[in-house]
Amino acid sequence: MVSRIGKAVIEYLEWGKGVGALLSGIVYWIVFGPFKGKFPRRRYIFQQMVFAGLRSVLLVFFVDFFTGIVLAMQTAYQLEKMGAVIYVASLVAVSMCRELSPVLTGLVVAGRAGSAIAAELGTMKVTEQVEALDTMSINPVRFLCVSRFLALLLMVPCLVILGNLSGILGGFIVGTGSLHINPDLYMQTTFKHLEIKDVYTGLIKAVVFGMIIALIACFEGLNTKGGAEGVGRATTRSVVISFILIILADCVITAFFYFSKI
Amino acid sequence: MKPTDSKNPVISLKNVSKTFQNKKVIDNVSLDIYAGETFIIMGCSGSGKSTLLRVMNGTIRPDEGHVFIKDKDIYHISDEALANIKKNFGMLFQYSALLDSMTVEENVALPLDEHTKLADEIIKIIIKMKLSLVGLRGYEKYYPSQISGGMRKRVGLARAIALDPDIVFYDEPTSGLDPVVGGVIDKLIKDLSAKLLMTSVVVTHDMQSVFGIADRIAMVHKGAIVAVGTPDEIRRSDNPYIQQFINGRPEGPIDFFKEDIGIIQDF
Repeated sequence: MVSRIGKAVIEYLEWGKGVGALLSGIVYWIVFGPFKGKFPRRRYIFQQMVFAGLRSVLLVFFVDFFTGIVLAMQTAYQLEKMGAVIYVASLVAVSMCRELSPVLTGLVVAGRAGSAIAAELGTMKVTEQVEALDTMSINPVRFLCVSRFLALLLMVPCLVILGNLSGILGGFIVGTGSLHINPDLYMQTTFKHLEIKDVYTGLIKAVVFGMIIALIACFEGLNTKGGAEGVGRATTRSVVISFILIILADCVITAFFYFSKI
Repeated sequence: MKPTDSKNPVISLKNVSKTFQNKKVIDNVSLDIYAGETFIIMGCSGSGKSTLLRVMNGTIRPDEGHVFIKDKDIYHISDEALANIKKNFGMLFQYSALLDSMTVEENVALPLDEHTKLADEIIKIIIKMKLSLVGLRGYEKYYPSQISGGMRKRVGLARAIALDPDIVFYDEPTSGLDPVVGGVIDKLIKDLSAKLLMTSVVVTHDMQSVFGIADRIAMVHKGAIVAVGTPDEIRRSDNPYIQQFINGRPEGPIDFFKEDIGIIQDF
């Protein structure tokens, strides 16, 4: 029993070490790559940005839009009792921007782009493509991971901004349509209570989530072992671990902002 | 040109050993490969010949011993220096290992793109030359999934020689191909060695290509070198391992079946 726990702990530590090494590798190539003329081509980064960002737009829109609607209805149910229905506007806006839009977008991107990255790199690994890069003395981390990392780092915040807007739109439709709040008043209340820091704390979260998704997907992909089954396992692992880490990071970051009174 | 007598080996292994999960995959191997020769490593599946190839090309670090490429001990220098040496290598993989997300043209262009500062037009010309060398002009825009296995292998070969390397490693170049395409690949390997003076290291168990293209042959069994010699020497050898292998006999010193650990005990 003890040995089993010990083994599990060692496995987790090894895993953490591996992820740390990959992160330092990626950061190294982002910082020093340009000086060596070894930065990924803009074309590759754009390709990844289109794949991870642009192709997720519709999904993110719908997820956050409907969450906005649900949030508005649920809070209206409570606020109606106190006769404060007008505050649905600010509540939806603030909770979307600070919390829901970053987390939901993070989860959506982890499920869509993260899994695809893990599956692609995993397949490349098991079909010797990664080894081929290595023998051509093309560093796989530089060639495969940096562009994906940068793409997610840039695109997740963009998607979160889109998510914020679609969430507010959802709340707006419920507020004006079914709660009969004057549209002007709704927008006024929204922006009266929504501060700039609500938006940027959400965006900081988005950046962190983007890094987590890219890092875990690349790590699991590049460490795939054994055939098609291994690729499947790597894909599942990347999604599950990204989900857990996103929620965990969300908790830590929220606590940090709350206690540091930023 | 028989390079066997030239003095300086291009690749030199000294007492190399490698263990995977308590199993000795390479057992104290010492080997010299000379410039311009086609050197074949043959042996059964699982005899460690592919691992030996990967030790030579800088992918797998041996536990013991030294690997010298042109007098440089490649596992005792910086990663950057190793990466620079690797630029002089080409490798053809068993399953081609072309990048699926790129076209034939982009695949061949990749090493040129990464390691040279050539203008795109010149790279285009080089790609055309390399592809016509392997008989695949006109397939530039195809993706690896759209062409046959034999063509993929030839594209892999074009990629391997894109940078005009000094040494080309071939991992089972003819396996899984029909005899004609296999013969074409063999001819390509031979031509490349002759025309471009490349040193070729070929891992295979295809006897036809072994005796067709080899300058020298090494027979590997259980991670150790059984014998090294010219094709004639190997053919005439009275070593029972070699005779069993080249004639493909089921009985002999190479035991296919594990010694009787007993089917009865399994029950």
